[in-house]
Amino acid sequence: MRTLRRAWRLPSAKVSLAVIGLVAVLAVFGGAIAPFDPLKQDPSLVLQGPGGRHLLGTDYLGRDVLSRLIEGTGRSVVGALEAVGVGLALGVLPGLASLWCGRVFEWVVSRLADAFMTLPYIVFAVAVTGVLGNTLTTAMVAIGVILAPRFFRIARAAGLGLTRAQYVEAAELFGASRWWILRTHIWSKVLPTLAVTAAQAMAAALLAVSSLAFLGLGVQPPAPTWGGLLSGDLQYLSQQPWAPLAPGLLIMVAAGALNTLADAIRDSGATDLLPGGGEFAAADSADASDGDVSADQPEAKENIHVPVPAL
Amino acid sequence: MRIVATSITVFLLASFLTYGLGAVGHANPAAAVLGDIATPADITRMNHVFGLDRPLLVQYFSWLGHALTGDLGTSYFTSVPVSQSVGQALPVDLSIAVLALTFAVVLGGAAGIAAALRQGGKLDRAVTLVCAGLATVPPFVIGIALIVVFSVFLKVLPSGGYVPLGTDAGQWLRFALLPALALSVEGAAAIARQLRTSLVAAVKENYVTGAVARGLPARRVLFGHVLRNAAGPALTVVGLEIPNLIGGAVVAEKIFNLPGVAQLALQSGSQHDIPLIQGTLLVTIGVVLVSNIAVNLVLLRLTPQARRPAGAAV
Repeated sequence: MRTLRRAWRLPSAKVSLAVIGLVAVLAVFGGAIAPFDPLKQDPSLVLQGPGGRHLLGTDYLGRDVLSRLIEGTGRSVVGALEAVGVGLALGVLPGLASLWCGRVFEWVVSRLADAFMTLPYIVFAVAVTGVLGNTLTTAMVAIGVILAPRFFRIARAAGLGLTRAQYVEAAELFGASRWWILRTHIWSKVLPTLAVTAAQAMAAALLAVSSLAFLGLGVQPPAPTWGGLLSGDLQYLSQQPWAPLAPGLLIMVAAGALNTLADAIRDSGATDLLPGGGEFAAADSADASDGDVSADQPEAKENIHVPVPAL
Repeated sequence: MRIVATSITVFLLASFLTYGLGAVGHANPAAAVLGDIATPADITRMNHVFGLDRPLLVQYFSWLGHALTGDLGTSYFTSVPVSQSVGQALPVDLSIAVLALTFAVVLGGAAGIAAALRQGGKLDRAVTLVCAGLATVPPFVIGIALIVVFSVFLKVLPSGGYVPLGTDAGQWLRFALLPALALSVEGAAAIARQLRTSLVAAVKENYVTGAVARGLPARRVLFGHVLRNAAGPALTVVGLEIPNLIGGAVVAEKIFNLPGVAQLALQSGSQHDIPLIQGTLLVTIGVVLVSNIAVNLVLLRLTPQARRPAGAAV
């Protein structure tokens, strides 16, 4: 919360939080807000332009585009949240644990993270849904697994600086348990950096959900999603060349707001609490605005040979 | 070579994950192939034909051994060798990805250098803004936008289809241009940002002041000194973009209707055709790792200081 309050002082954070809030409202109350039934077809009103009763027009089956857009928000956001949740769960704990649980564990987990990083997320998600069944949860767990190495790296890098901090050594000397140190000294300082990564990952996951829905993965066709709307428009581009504009813009605005929020949290100085953590958060993410991949950081050197999926 | 050793470890792990994924699936390929009328005895016999009644590790090593000699097994459904299907589809993606990478490096490099030269000026701000905006645009939106502009309104380029590079290079370029452009945008933006950041930092270094003081022409200082030192991080970004390019190619294939690996993966995914799924995933991992090694080798040649930690860490 303190992190958000700090970031709130920046105007860019206010705008992005407002956009995120709006998307959240659409996601939660979408069913109630939508002016029409998003699945109701009207053969007499096929491929209508915007205006009149249908503010954004109708699609190739005469369904109201605005309602489909609003209804689709919930599914897209829930999918992205699932992916980020899985990524956090699979990434953060092993990342922090790798600092304490011995060299063997560290080596195995780091190589596993490397292995997952080589997988292009869409190909992986196609394979996972192909084998385990094509549901939104399966697809999003696959995306979460691909996101996990990011969180693993960030948590590990952030914790690495802290284990050498004097007050952590002092606490160890006074006989504090590892768990206690982790809870009191490490967790609160890793959190802002994780928040930056989580916001970026959320943006990436939204794009991933849309890409997969565009391919027909995760969500079955009649149910509306942002990406699904776009793939439906694809066949009718010559009749309605402007149709992809609304869903495309919505995806871009939502992802842009999340990235702006991430930048705002970092710029507000919350991540500076961490020795070297803020820089690393920038170095590890290719989409950070000042993403300077510094070759002088020991962790960056260790990582220089593996690709980090920017998704 | 540390990079090669790490890559081999990663390849072994990733390939095991790939194989394990197929093994844990609830899909029963024998039942799927034989249809509803199969008796349990038929299914057992079919499982034996597929080699699915052996222990997992034995199956994995036999699969990997065959895969390394170019035999990826046979599709459960069409009985076509997987390596043949993948071999037909892969050149489509590779040729388009290479074209996209070239676009990304040229466009991103030019934009990054231009922005850094006019640091703080209008051009710099425009490039920074455009790059930040483009980073949030999903590649398929760019692809659709390109179709709308070039195929629907201008009617100069086809909206989909493919001709192999070997058949007719000119036709290939017509079909490959839009997908490659759509794919390159994200990478170009990332490269431009990184190059701008590291160029701006490199210009402030003492050796630049020294070179200028010695009276070297600005062009030579820029390309001989500054760019050489600033290119390292940008090249790392190129390496990071490669899995994205291949992942993005999946979506581009769908938009532009290209007969590539992704169509193969999507089709095999919908049929639960596990050897085909495993084969495409394994080949993709291989491509990513090989291109990654290549990027690192260039990086080593370019920046001598990158050689030290690699040697010291062994």
